[in-house]
Amino acid sequence: MSAYLVLETGEVYSGHWNGGSERAGEVVFNTSHSGYEEIATDPSYYSQIVVMTNPMQGNYSVDNSVWESKRIWIEGFVCLQIQKSPRDQDWIRRLSENGIPLMSEIDTRNLVLRLRSGGTPWGAIVQAETEAEAFAKAKTLIEKNKHKNKDWVWDVSRKEKEIRPGQMAMGPRLAVLDFGSKENILRELEKYCRELHIFPSRASAAEIEKINPDGLMLTNGPGDPADVEVAQDTIRHFVGKKPVFGICMGHQVLALALGAKTYKLKFGHRGSNHPIRDELLNKIYVSSQNHGYSVDVKTLPSDVKVTHTNLNDNTVAGFYSEKLKCLGIQYHPEACPGPHEAQQLFRFFIDKMLN
Amino acid sequence: MPKKKDLKKVLILGSGPIVIGQACEFDYSGTQACKALMKENLEVILVNSNPATIMTDPEIATRVYVEPLKADFIEKIIEIEKPQAVIPTLGGQTALNLALELHSKGILQKHNVELLGATPEVIRSAEDRELFRSILDEVGAKYPKSHLVRTFEHAKNVAEELGYPLILRPNYTLGGGGGGIAYSPEEYQRMIVQALHESPTTEVLVEESILGWKEYELEVMRDARGTFVVVCTIENLDPCGVHTGDSITIAPQQTLSDRQYQEMRDEACKIINRVGLQTGGANVQFAVHPVTGERVVIEMNPRVSRSSALASKATGFPIAKIAALLAIGYHLDEIQNDITKTTPSCYEPALDYVVTKIPRFAFEKFAGSKDLLSTQMKSVGEVMALGRTFQESLMKALLSLEFSAEGIPDVEYSTELVSYPNSKRIFQLFQGFRDGKTVAELSELTQIHPWFLEQIQGLVDFEKSLRRTPQLDKAKLLEAKRKGFSDARLSRLTSHNEKEIFSMREKHKIFPHYLQVDTCAGEFESATPYFYSSYWPEKSKPLQIEKAVVVIGSGPNRIGQGIEFDYSCVRGVKAYQRHGFPVAMVNSNPETVSTDYDTSNVLFFEPLTSESVIEVMRYLKPHGFVAQLGGQTPINMAHQLVAFGTPLLGSSLECIDLAEDRGLFSQICRELDLKIPNSLMVGSYQEALQSEATVGYPMICRPSYVLGGRRMEVVENRDELKSYFDRHKEFITSERPCMMDQFLAGALEVDVDLVRGVDWNIVGGIVEHIEAAGVHSGDSMGVLPPQRLKDETCEKIETLSKKLADRLGVIGHLNLQLAIKNDVVYVLEANPRSSRSVPFVVKAANVPLIDLGVAASLGVKAKDLHLENYNWRKVQTVAVKGVVFPFKKFQESDSILGPEMKSTGETMGRGRDYPEALMKAFLTSQMTFPQKGEVFFSLREKDKEPSLALAKELILLGFQISATRGTADFFNKSGIECLMLKKVHEGRPNCVDRIRSGDVSFVVNTTSGRESIEASFDIRRACTDYSIACLTESDAAEAFIVALKKTRDRQVFVSPLPSMKI
Repeated sequence: MSAYLVLETGEVYSGHWNGGSERAGEVVFNTSHSGYEEIATDPSYYSQIVVMTNPMQGNYSVDNSVWESKRIWIEGFVCLQIQKSPRDQDWIRRLSENGIPLMSEIDTRNLVLRLRSGGTPWGAIVQAETEAEAFAKAKTLIEKNKHKNKDWVWDVSRKEKEIRPGQMAMGPRLAVLDFGSKENILRELEKYCRELHIFPSRASAAEIEKINPDGLMLTNGPGDPADVEVAQDTIRHFVGKKPVFGICMGHQVLALALGAKTYKLKFGHRGSNHPIRDELLNKIYVSSQNHGYSVDVKTLPSDVKVTHTNLNDNTVAGFYSEKLKCLGIQYHPEACPGPHEAQQLFRFFIDKMLN
Repeated sequence: MPKKKDLKKVLILGSGPIVIGQACEFDYSGTQACKALMKENLEVILVNSNPATIMTDPEIATRVYVEPLKADFIEKIIEIEKPQAVIPTLGGQTALNLALELHSKGILQKHNVELLGATPEVIRSAEDRELFRSILDEVGAKYPKSHLVRTFEHAKNVAEELGYPLILRPNYTLGGGGGGIAYSPEEYQRMIVQALHESPTTEVLVEESILGWKEYELEVMRDARGTFVVVCTIENLDPCGVHTGDSITIAPQQTLSDRQYQEMRDEACKIINRVGLQTGGANVQFAVHPVTGERVVIEMNPRVSRSSALASKATGFPIAKIAALLAIGYHLDEIQNDITKTTPSCYEPALDYVVTKIPRFAFEKFAGSKDLLSTQMKSVGEVMALGRTFQESLMKALLSLEFSAEGIPDVEYSTELVSYPNSKRIFQLFQGFRDGKTVAELSELTQIHPWFLEQIQGLVDFEKSLRRTPQLDKAKLLEAKRKGFSDARLSRLTSHNEKEIFSMREKHKIFPHYLQVDTCAGEFESATPYFYSSYWPEKSKPLQIEKAVVVIGSGPNRIGQGIEFDYSCVRGVKAYQRHGFPVAMVNSNPETVSTDYDTSNVLFFEPLTSESVIEVMRYLKPHGFVAQLGGQTPINMAHQLVAFGTPLLGSSLECIDLAEDRGLFSQICRELDLKIPNSLMVGSYQEALQSEATVGYPMICRPSYVLGGRRMEVVENRDELKSYFDRHKEFITSERPCMMDQFLAGALEVDVDLVRGVDWNIVGGIVEHIEAAGVHSGDSMGVLPPQRLKDETCEKIETLSKKLADRLGVIGHLNLQLAIKNDVVYVLEANPRSSRSVPFVVKAANVPLIDLGVAASLGVKAKDLHLENYNWRKVQTVAVKGVVFPFKKFQESDSILGPEMKSTGETMGRGRDYPEALMKAFLTSQMTFPQKGEVFFSLREKDKEPSLALAKELILLGFQISATRGTADFFNKSGIECLMLKKVHEGRPNCVDRIRSGDVSFVVNTTSGRESIEASFDIRRACTDYSIACLTESDAAEAFIVALKKTRDRQVFVSPLPSMKI
């Protein structure tokens, strides 16, 4: 039997089935050369089938220490060729042990061009004898999964508050609103903080106020920012009072809380090579990206300044308000995968905004 | 920041002749930079001594100086041109070193000229290994433990501390020159002397071994504001211990985790910043321990390099062009990505394919030198291939080498050939798996990362499955093609012949599809038509180009077919475009201008095998293809392309056959009453014995179908004839007979390049060789206009050449090699294509031969051309072609010149008269003119008499003369005071000891006959090792002395190339 990737818009792609179970999700592509394990464990990929444009995947085995969360979130992994030798087939094994379908020997470039020009539809990876069979199976799977709870952030967020000690005894105490946080955001913060209090995404302002945090961190997360419940109100409570730093989903929900609008990008930004003009750090650098939505620049309040621009398409990559003490960054200063140049933004938050 | 406003005029330094370690990648980078700066309305002044480059075409820069890359000549140019700045980062190590010299001599300061791109401090901190290590310490980067050694004594102590093996890296040398790996004290002591000698500063870094570590290169760019991007990450298949230029390399890197990679990227950025590189491209090399992941820095180059050319071709990111724009003040975000046309250049290319580079070697040319790879670069060229998977990419690259249509032919496995890195190891790896070796075994022997070995094993497993069930079906065939197997290899592995496989592919429509190199893995739309083939995709983007002309390139540089043919191709592309024909370029060589994506209208980066070129034709359905411009490679596939149905432009197949087939060609010469040397073809030694009288001694023997005079030798008597057949019998059969040609000893040889149109023909020029017959035309120096031929002989040559072109029915180029003895002209060889000498002739005679050849192939009539504009006899300057050789890189190789070509590159000296042109030609070919001291002669009998005058001249110039017994007796008897030195077999101290002690200024050593050549080998080798000029032909010696005398004038005269009317 062959593997099929069927898009809800009707296109069918065949390839090789490498295990896992049949699943559905939004089909997106990522142009990073490396970092498959970080990507698969990044909660922002919740409910997504990830197509890797780099054809050779799984080349360097697996490593528990690079996991960006406690589980694999992707609904499928698609690449042209997958490492499979007696010495090393760890990535295949890891995905299939977690029930994630891995499809290879598929013309990924053709698929990517389709996603680029037509946007990122839902799709399903199934095993079938014929295209017709695949089509029917996929349709059922997509329908079943597409209409589940829309607040994806709530799906991936911690449901219990967690307290983590930081490494800086004199540092601030931060409240973190977990929208599906990558571990490395927390690791970066731990370096500079006394204590991190990590709250579920629907935590109320009152709950957070109890710990009297020095500032609020809003993490990355999956899905449409407009569907995130409660958080807008929570954030609004703190804006102007406490420094707030939002990354990716955090940035988008922060924008919504400030009264701005977000919109879905045609096919999103996912990769490790996007150029950013950063007017806060006053430099231009390459960034790690993973988002499907963007903040509409025209809707941002006047006391918020767009300070970061994605130079590929001039979309908003970040904003800052000294007055409102808030900073939103659309991409990933925590990297993993991707370049580290934006890491200084954590220092900016700690040194410039919290002090 | 936009461009520097006050900057109006810049001087760009080229890299000089093609040598190992510095080849046509600098023509590519220089040309790209010039074009970019001209577009910015700057006045661009270019200096380069290499006439075979596109960059030295008059149109490329505002003014082009083909002059020696020496401080005094550059100063003269600066005086005349008064540039505001010099860009030294585009001409390789040569240009950087020259810039340092211009600075340390105060020349730049005196003329108020700024260095753009790299300051002297930056150049020093990258090149001075001690300084570089202090920088690494500052940024916290690790490096192998090492010591900088300046004396032999210190070197010995260092070895004791570090232990063996040891890596030797001389300071400020090119391509690891003079360096290597020493495994034992004996080896080390021998090598350290040489290495100290090679370093211009007498400094050698002695380094602990990191043999077997994984090796990486990061190609990076930085702008003045500090924006930093990694254009490409390159992983070496061959682990540390093999020079990266000699390694098979892969992009993007395959076996590093993101964490490991990002750490490496951070470190590269820190190093670049700390070194102080303001703007431009650079590369940083790292080694990573295969198990622990420990990382060390090997080196960095603050300039565009061979690997940046590769990275540009691999990614579509034009490093040299952008480096030039950054140098004049732009920032990366202000420069548009040429390929997407919508995004800026401050990004990092994302690849959705795999790139493999494989070097091409020439060990077979240097008898005696061992085919072993080390830290000193030895390859003469390289190929690159793109595929969707590593397997497809590797297999395409192996086919691109043009060794075998099978790509991965069966060979005999030998553990030794696997264990010691050598030019054929990749084929051994395949064979190892065929013979049942395991990944673990081969990884143990080679230290190659198992990931690569598994990929190769996968290919061999597939071969095995084909051999078990040799019937191909559609699915199996598609699988095979996706793995990169050529039809020829499949026919070897299955029960089908090549033709059946081809028809099967046509029946099932199994064709490659063409994918765009777009810098962004498909993320953005891109308009740039830069393609590679793959059997993975299900469809190609339709490409509709009316009247496309396909120009087939010349593939990897090799001795005998190099940059000269790329010159022809690029010039040809431009000419077809001017005539209104869009051009598709097909080539496999990443170093070249022809494979720049904006040279042609469409670029296909493909192996130059008939199979893959036919597929390009199938996709493109062109107006026709051109076989005349890319050397022998396209000529060899012309028959198959015509059979496929693609029209051939220019000379017909019949014409090509007439010229290429010895029998047919002799017949025509007889018919036209043209003299040819006595000649016969024999299939064995027995047959040779029967024919020796007909040909007569001396004769030249060579197997059929050879390029660059391979296995071609002068044979003086029957003993040597026997020896010749003994040594080369495996290349001589009745199907592939040996050619025996009468050798016209002492004859003058000339190259003639002409172009013939439908109703016209024109001789571009006659290049008179300086060495007498017997030296391969690629290795002999040459002069235009001829200095020794009578005018009427030249006229005779022109008439005869035109007559021959008419009879052959040439349309386009014809290159003739002729010999003149006693005013009789003999025809030695005819090549129905553009030749090695064409770029030299174009620049020396100011005749646009390539443009005329294109006009001819398009049927342009004489009335529509201004042929009267072109006349090589009216040229005011004398041009001498100089030649450079790689003997130094090949230990134990002999520098004697003969019928087999050994040079890697050429230079041009232009002067107001012959001596001046000669002087410049020698200077540009890395020869130095000693002004006093001892000249050592060792001459064969026939050269003694003619050398008397030379010896007398030298004494007048203030030199002393020494010689071996025979020559010394003769000189002394003739009244020339001459010191007698012992020959090697006469005991010590002998002449070689004297040379090696540095007591000899230069050497004239002429010899012939196998035995004498062997006996005098040590003399020539000593000269090579100690960089002492050694003239092996009396004509060359005479020319050298003429030039040497000229240096006494102390005149530095330079002039730009005149513009060329097209």
